[in-house]
This record gives sequence, C-alpha cells and structure tokens, in this order.
Amino acid sequence: MIYTIIIYAAAGSVVSSILACIPGLHVYNVMGLLLLSGCMPGCPEIIVPLFTGMIVGYAVMSTLPSVFLAAPDESALFIVLPGQKYLMCGRGYEGSIITACGSMAGLFLLLLLAAPLAPALLSVAHTVFQPHLHWILWCVICFMLMSEWPKGGVLGDGGFAKFIDGWKATGAGLVTFFLSGLLGFILLYRSPIPSTVAFQNIMPAFVGLFTLPWLLLNIVSGVSIPDQKIDSRSNLGAVSFLRGVFAGGLGGGFAAFFPVVSGGVGGFLSGHATALRDDKAFLVSQGVSKLVYYAGGFLLLFVPGLGIGRGGGSWLMRGIYVPGSYHDYYLAMASMAIAGAVSLLMVGPLSWGMIKLIGKSSFRFLSFVSLLLVFVIVFAVTGWRGEFVMLVAAGIGLIPVLLGSRRMNCLGVILLPMACNMSGCGAKVAGWMGLL
Amino acid sequence: MKGIAHFSVGVALASFFQSAVKAGADGSPMYFILGGVFGLLPDTLDFKFYKFFYRYDIIVTPDPLDPDPQMIADGVAMAVNNSFVDKKPVRIKLNTIRMGSDLWRQYSVKFDIPCRKVVVSVGPVVRTDQSVVEEYSCKKKEAHSGLLCGVKPDYETETVADILDGPSFLMKPTADKRVVPIFIPWHREWSHSLVIGLLFALAGTVVWDVLAGMIIFGAFAAHILVDQLGFLGSCLLYPFRASLRTGGMKLIHSGDMLPNFGAVWFSCLAIFWNLYRALPWQIDSFNPLKLVFYGVLLPLVAIVLLRRLLSGHARSGTSA
Repeated sequence: MIYTIIIYAAAGSVVSSILACIPGLHVYNVMGLLLLSGCMPGCPEIIVPLFTGMIVGYAVMSTLPSVFLAAPDESALFIVLPGQKYLMCGRGYEGSIITACGSMAGLFLLLLLAAPLAPALLSVAHTVFQPHLHWILWCVICFMLMSEWPKGGVLGDGGFAKFIDGWKATGAGLVTFFLSGLLGFILLYRSPIPSTVAFQNIMPAFVGLFTLPWLLLNIVSGVSIPDQKIDSRSNLGAVSFLRGVFAGGLGGGFAAFFPVVSGGVGGFLSGHATALRDDKAFLVSQGVSKLVYYAGGFLLLFVPGLGIGRGGGSWLMRGIYVPGSYHDYYLAMASMAIAGAVSLLMVGPLSWGMIKLIGKSSFRFLSFVSLLLVFVIVFAVTGWRGEFVMLVAAGIGLIPVLLGSRRMNCLGVILLPMACNMSGCGAKVAGWMGLL
Repeated sequence: MKGIAHFSVGVALASFFQSAVKAGADGSPMYFILGGVFGLLPDTLDFKFYKFFYRYDIIVTPDPLDPDPQMIADGVAMAVNNSFVDKKPVRIKLNTIRMGSDLWRQYSVKFDIPCRKVVVSVGPVVRTDQSVVEEYSCKKKEAHSGLLCGVKPDYETETVADILDGPSFLMKPTADKRVVPIFIPWHREWSHSLVIGLLFALAGTVVWDVLAGMIIFGAFAAHILVDQLGFLGSCLLYPFRASLRTGGMKLIHSGDMLPNFGAVWFSCLAIFWNLYRALPWQIDSFNPLKLVFYGVLLPLVAIVLLRRLLSGHARSGTSA
C-alpha cells in the first residue's frame, strides 16, 4: 500500500507540474475531466494521493507561466509584476527559484505547524465564523475597492483636471470590479455554458479575465525577453525570506479557510497587513501563499471533525470519496510531503525548459501558441459558448491591463455574486438585472 | 498606520456591539461594512479626493534628464523666505523624478537649522520598492540655498522624494519669527476632525439608525486616535479651532510593520472574541485562556525569537 501511495502522489505531482506550465489550464479542470472520464477508482489509497499530488504540483509549478509568460491564474495576480521584473532583467530563473523556496517553506508551514494544530483550532474557528462569513466577505470587497489609491494626478496644480487624471486608474478598477461582477451574476443565474459541463462554468471567464489579456498584450507589444541566466544564487536574505513566509502563510491560510476568497486576495491582504515591499519577500510570500491556499484548502476536507471543503478540488473529491478519519488526514499529509518534494525537484528543470523554449522562439510566437492552446482548451471543455464568454471576459480583463488598475478587481466575477448570495440578496439583485 | 490597520480596527469596533453581531448572524453585513468603511474614510477623503484639489503657490518639477539640485533648493528656500517676509503661508509641492515605469531618481531636502539653509541632494535611481538600482550609477549632486529665518520642522528635518507622488509643505510663519514647514498639509486637516466624524455619525443615524451612527463615529474616532501615535497629528476640532493641530506622540511611523500588523492581529482577535461571546451556546473545548495562549502568547514568543534570530544573524553578517 505504501508504494501505491508514493507512486500515485508522485505521478499526480509530475503530471500536474507539467500541465501547470500550460497557460489557462487549471488543475481543477484536469481533475474534473478525470472524474468525467469515469476511470477514477474510489479507493482512498489511490484517489487521495493522486488528487493531493496534482494540487500540490500545480500550486508549486503554476508560478512558471506567471513569471515566464505573464499569464497567471487568479491566485498569482501579484506575482506577475515582480516576476516580470526579474524576467526583464534576465533573472527569470532566479525569480522562479525564489518563489519555489516560498512554496517549500509553505509546505513546511502547512505540514509541521498548521496541520497538527488544525483539528484543535479550526473546528472552533469554523463554529464561530460560520454565521458571519458573508459580512467578512463584504468587508474584504470593501477594503479591496477602497484601498486602490489613485496613481495619476501627480503633476499640475489642484483642480478637476488633476482629479480626473488621478482617478483614471481607480475608476477603471471600480468599473472592472462591477463589470466582472455582472458577468459573474450572468454565469450564475443565466449561464450560456451547457449544463453538462456546469462544473466548468467559471473556467472560460477566469481564462478570459486573467490569462487572455496578458497573452494579447505580449503579442501586440512584441516585447522581447533578454537572455536568461540559469543561476539559482540570489541575495535572498533571511529577513526577506522570513517576512515573505510570514506574509504568505497568513494570506494563504486566510484564503484557504474563508470561502470565495482566493489566493490572490489573501496575498493582497497579508501584504498590506505585514507592510510587505521588498520584491524578494514578495515572491517568497506568493510561493507560500499559493501552496498554503491550494493545498491547505484541500487539506481542510480531511481535518477530522471539521468537514469543510474549500476550492474546486475538495468539491470534486467529495463526489467520489468523503474522508472522515485521522487515517485519511495523515494519508493526505504524507501525500503532500511526497508530492511537494517531487514538484520542488522539478522546478529547476522545468524552469530551464521554459527558458530554452523562450530562447528558441520569440516571445510573441510563444504567446501566440499559448493563445491558440487556450482557445482549444476552452472550446474542448465548454464549446463555442464558452469561447464567447471567454472573449467577453477578456474585454473586461483588458481594462486593468491597459489602464493600470489592479487586475485583482476582476475577481468581482465570483466575489460579488457570492457575497450577495451569502447575504441572501443574490436572487433579488439578479431579479433587478432581469436575470430571473 | 496603513489602511488595513484602520479598516480592521473599525470592523473590530463594530463587533463590540452585540446588536451588530446579531444582525450579522442574521444576514445583515451593514454594521460591519460601516465600521470598516468609516474606519478608513479619513485617509480616503485625503488621498483620493482632497489632495487633487489642493492648490500650491510653488511647484518644483525637476528635469528627469538632468535634475538640478540648485533649482530645487532655491524653490524650497523661496517658499520659506516668502512666507517669512510676507508673513503668510506659502504652499510648495516637490514633484518626484520619474525615470521609467518602475524607476525614480531619489532626492532629499534637508533643513539645516543651525546654518539656516536648505540642502538638496540628488541621489541614486531606485525602483518603486525603493531598492537602489545598481546598474544606473549616478553621481550624487548637492546644492544649498540660504534662508532668511529659522525653521521649526513639524515632521523630520530631512524629507526624501523618490517614488509616486512627491512631498508638499505649507510654510507657515510663527510668532517667534520662524517658519514651520508643515509636511503634507492637506493630510489630516478637516478629514481627521472629531467634529466631522460627529457629522457623519448624525447622517448615519438619520439614514440608518442610532447603532449605525455610534459605529460610524466610533470607527472614525478610532482612526483619528490611532493616528495620534504617529508624527503628524491632526486638527481634532476642525472647523472649531482650525489652526489647532496636535503634534502626534511620535511613537510609530505609518509604514512600521509591527504596529500595523499588531493592530490587524489584535483587531482580528477582538472580532473573534466578540463573535464567540455572541454564540447561543458555549464551545466546551474553548475558553478565553486558549485565545490568549494561541492568539497572544504563542505569536509573541515566535516574534521575539525570530527577531533575536534575525538580529543575531545580522550582527554575525556585519562582523564577518
């Protein structure tokens, strides 16, 4: 049995690590397709390590398209700018290794600190917070919107012209949030996606909001990437590392525990709370945050006495197996450790591979190929209706990219409808919009 | 303090009202949203609205291709001297020197009080995270300009202008024939007044209810009171005694990590405790001591150990 666990954990990690390098392809999509295929066995010794391995592998490796292709998923919204800086200085490899160090620290944090305390603490926290999750989400939304400071309006004397100049980016952020929220309501109440693939309802929107805009920008701008140095040495000091781990652990933990809040939002909140400014600490924190968010959210399903699922992986897992004992919990933790080790070992070679790929082909060509892949994947999963949703979402996703506002505002696609639903006014709002 | 600290203090304040907690459990997020929003509102009013309408008498915009420290020094000196001679306030804005999308040329303005002069140093190129860009080695340039009177800084004697929006001053003459350069004068003026908070609270009471009014005032006042720990103070009683500005206790800087995180963490603990108190049943495995142990003592021990570890690491690095 132990060899079965090791093999499936490692295999899940290897497969998802490689697939994570494909922009627009999320591990939940792959897990969903695996389930749909009907070839998934129900025994926990296979399904738990396999799914755990896939999630951990994705959490560690999905950094790479964020750094090298600037096509992140929603949990990596903040990693793009510092990662891009490293890429444009020829230090993309170093940037990916720093983030991988963060992922490794996140794994230790999760398995050695959070997991042993979780059964004692989380059930209490869940009982206390459960009736109040809706307003916590509303507070997160309010802070997100209020905390975007105007970027322009620096030059010139005071007056309306300066005010309008200052508010361009902030206004664009608000427009992005509400437009994406509107899209989210449509997808929730009158989705054009066929009901046979309803579990992938949100996928075209996410791809359109987060992946497509950057790929399009790369193609249009024709940016060229300087030669990359394959050198993992960095000046990552202890202070930067520890601050990053601290911030990332907090952000990822918050996002894993509270529903709807994604890794990107968790990272944003913890970055503010810990006054994180240093780029290296930031990259570390994003590595920690992604791993704690994805793997921690999945692990919550296994915490004895808790029984909550966070993230698509948990919901998919529940469809075939519901864990309930300490045996399952330890099985999941062991699978995470194995999968984490495997995926961390793959960071270097896969980063090297991506650098070679970027070096051999122009960035524009790679972005074009990625764009085609994205179109194919979305069409294969959700059909031409999904393509339509993706294109509409891309239009919204281009607003922050072109006008300099936060890309995180695109998370309105899930935040706004879910907050309304959790407060009990979702149907009313949908009615006002004519969706019911 | 940073925005998230003020926001979380506002939400925590709302949680102390059991009626608000009950409303939250029943599906109404309003009171907590009001707490958070009005906890952050004073800074929002300043940084997102008022600063764009604030007019200046002198605007200094250095040439990014060849920044001239003498021009900057002369501009600052002119503001001080005009204020002293004309015996009226003079507003001056110092713009930053943008070199690229993520590059800025840093310069500093220092009031040399004993020598009665302004010293400006144009320094290195930095990124938006304020780290120096080694690849752009620029020769440091310095200049100074004389002042006609003494200066009594209300913030720090040296101000660095590097990223985003630059600093501004209100040069205000004093009765003892000096000039006070009030740092970012548009900040913490009318927006950080308890009187304004009271007005918001009255409006909130009319629109919603008394509880909303109390939360609004409490969150607004909490923001203002927390700001007193810093260096800038505020006009607590604007528009009554508009000229009376507190000096701040100068205990923390707004960007200091520990005070900000401490405010957020303790706010979260307070929220948790208030939500726990409102539960209709008690949780057997939980008590206040456990909250103190896991929420206060353990993190405190961890922080102290980490700081010792890091300071020991830094010292051994320095000695090596």
